Amino acid sequence: MRTIYADNNATTRIAPEVYQAMIPFFTENYFNPSSMYEPAQNTAVAVARAREGIAGYLGVNDPKQILFTSCATESNNTAILGAAKANPNRRHIITTAVEHPAVLEVCKDLQRNGYEVTFLPVDGDGNLDVRAFVRALRADTLLVTIMHANNETGVIFPIKQLSRLAKETDPSIIFHTDATQSVGKLPIDLGEDYRHVDLLSFSGHKLHAPKGIGALFFRRGTRCRPFMIGGHQEEGRRAGTENVPYIVGLAKALALAMENHEEQETRIRQLRDHLQQALEQKIPHAQVTGKAAPRLANTLNISCHYVEGEGMLYQLSAHGICASSGSACTSGSLEPSHVLKAMNVPFAAVHGSVRFSFSRYNTQEDIDHIIEVFPGIVANLRKLSPYWDNTSNMPQPNAEDLLQRNR
Amino acid sequence: MAWEYSEKTKQLFMDAVHGKPGTHLGEIENPDGFGEHGSIACGDALRFTFRVKRHPTDPMKDVIVEARYLTFGCTSAIAASEALCTLIEQGGYTPIEALKVQNRDIVEFLGGLPEQKIHCSVMGAEALEAAVFDWARKRGVDLERLGVDIHADEQEEGRIVCKCFSLSEPYLKRKIKELNLRTIPEITNAVKAGGACMSCHHVPGGLQDILDQTWGKEKDRSQIMPAISEAGEGALTEDSSLSPYLFAKQVERAVDEYIRPMLQRDGGDLEIIDIKNALIYCRLAGACAGCAGAAQTLKTIVEQTLKEVVDDRIRIIEV
Repeated sequence: MRTIYADNNATTRIAPEVYQAMIPFFTENYFNPSSMYEPAQNTAVAVARAREGIAGYLGVNDPKQILFTSCATESNNTAILGAAKANPNRRHIITTAVEHPAVLEVCKDLQRNGYEVTFLPVDGDGNLDVRAFVRALRADTLLVTIMHANNETGVIFPIKQLSRLAKETDPSIIFHTDATQSVGKLPIDLGEDYRHVDLLSFSGHKLHAPKGIGALFFRRGTRCRPFMIGGHQEEGRRAGTENVPYIVGLAKALALAMENHEEQETRIRQLRDHLQQALEQKIPHAQVTGKAAPRLANTLNISCHYVEGEGMLYQLSAHGICASSGSACTSGSLEPSHVLKAMNVPFAAVHGSVRFSFSRYNTQEDIDHIIEVFPGIVANLRKLSPYWDNTSNMPQPNAEDLLQRNR
Repeated sequence: MAWEYSEKTKQLFMDAVHGKPGTHLGEIENPDGFGEHGSIACGDALRFTFRVKRHPTDPMKDVIVEARYLTFGCTSAIAASEALCTLIEQGGYTPIEALKVQNRDIVEFLGGLPEQKIHCSVMGAEALEAAVFDWARKRGVDLERLGVDIHADEQEEGRIVCKCFSLSEPYLKRKIKELNLRTIPEITNAVKAGGACMSCHHVPGGLQDILDQTWGKEKDRSQIMPAISEAGEGALTEDSSLSPYLFAKQVERAVDEYIRPMLQRDGGDLEIIDIKNALIYCRLAGACAGCAGAAQTLKTIVEQTLKEVVDDRIRIIEV
């Protein structure tokens, strides 16, 4: 059976070009870039080139401002904990209710240790209220950490505007953004319209590089203490021997993402929109989350009422289709998606959410196959659901109320 | 989270969703026993119904001949419902005998369940129990006299411990003993309590306290650090000589008297979003909203006017 991979916000396939670019650094060029002998200089040059390449794509004039880490989670931890450590006189942090756990949980941990954290809410479309952001800024605000694009819904936050507002209020406020879902997908120029961003995190495996490599843009002069100490690498801001093959892979992956970027984005958007329209038409009582907000071109989050996400994923998987869900049963805890809850998606609808996320490797054929099988999967589960009336093929009369009710 | 289901679980689920003959999907009309457990908000719900072959004189000799379910839930919840109906039908039990079917029998029938899915089997056992109680009510059988614990009013009268799933203290105490639950994760896996917001774990009267009461206190349990809030409010920029209230009033008045009339001539307006000391957050509204020259207008007209009229330290920030 052919695998249809539609879970690219979770991780992505490694591009063959990336893999090829990495191989020499597993074989003949295995040297430590910090060593003095001549062969090691080649690995040091490879790291420097990769850094320059990445800096170039992000509009960073001084490549030393790009630090390599092991993953976006490490980059986020470094940014948030490092900023808190370097600014002991300030105790207030602003973030949002819909961040990735790698930001949300770090903020909650600081909260448990005496920091005050403002978790900005979002509206039903997933948008932030910029007014609420302005009102949250305080004299003792040390850090703003707000994601660029949401992993579950694809909703994009106005980072340019938010970072400008923070800096115009007080240049000492550190502005961090988790751009894991947006680097390689949205244009980011840290020298121009994103010049107010101090720290920006992302990782390789969301853009067809392998897992195990991340990066942190660290604007020169930002007050932020290192997270990993014990070495002079990355100018002492992130100790540890450079992961040379993966660093080379990350740079190659970003270069590939930027090649024909607009063309690819248009094609992916067309695929997503086609799927969205077809599913909306074929599945009654379904809602697309984040539809009215600015959204990544590759993400579709759809909630099918009266059915549970895990059962849908299981059947999709039986058809070779890989997707994910915000349902409680798939989250590893019993709590359904905090993102959809923050958007006031009714509880029961959150349980029936499925996320499809695409990449440049997806085809029209993939979309057609999903359209062919998914509506039937939902119908099958509705037949089993106590909230569905099979005679009329409609929800039970009282089910609509249940759906709207929150806890 | 990958699926770690047994072949039996996967098979029962696939058979059920494809409506294979011999599966137990459905609801019996005018059932002799009707029981529900869970809710749509909790993420899984089971409606279980059965029909008995009535004994002409002695309801105690009624025998369950048919069992059906409707389930909203995950793969294992649906498979557990199938397992429950199969076990009940194959057993040829009287309703009282059926009460002996426990969640572990369902787990065994399924060839095991992942730990975090045990609650699916508990849901089956709970719905069965509710259906038997319903049967007893309809047939006039006094279960209490037969020595069956019917946990009367347990949900209504008990203090709610887990607010997310509406689970009361008496219910949790009973389940902790019945299912021999020793830790908070075990409780969560079996009955979901504490699985969502987790705020009931270590508070007074919370899950750990109930565990301690039931099994005795464990030593060396770490104390939860109290949250401390020491962040203070202060000036964002230089001190203004006026109180924030009077300062804001003056800004408002200047905006109304000098700035709005100018903007309104062009069909525009000004929205003030916040004032923090000398920082004034605003945006142009009406016909001026989205205007290419908005930043310039704010700088020249709004900021200059306010500097002259109110305080020369004022700075405008466009939102």
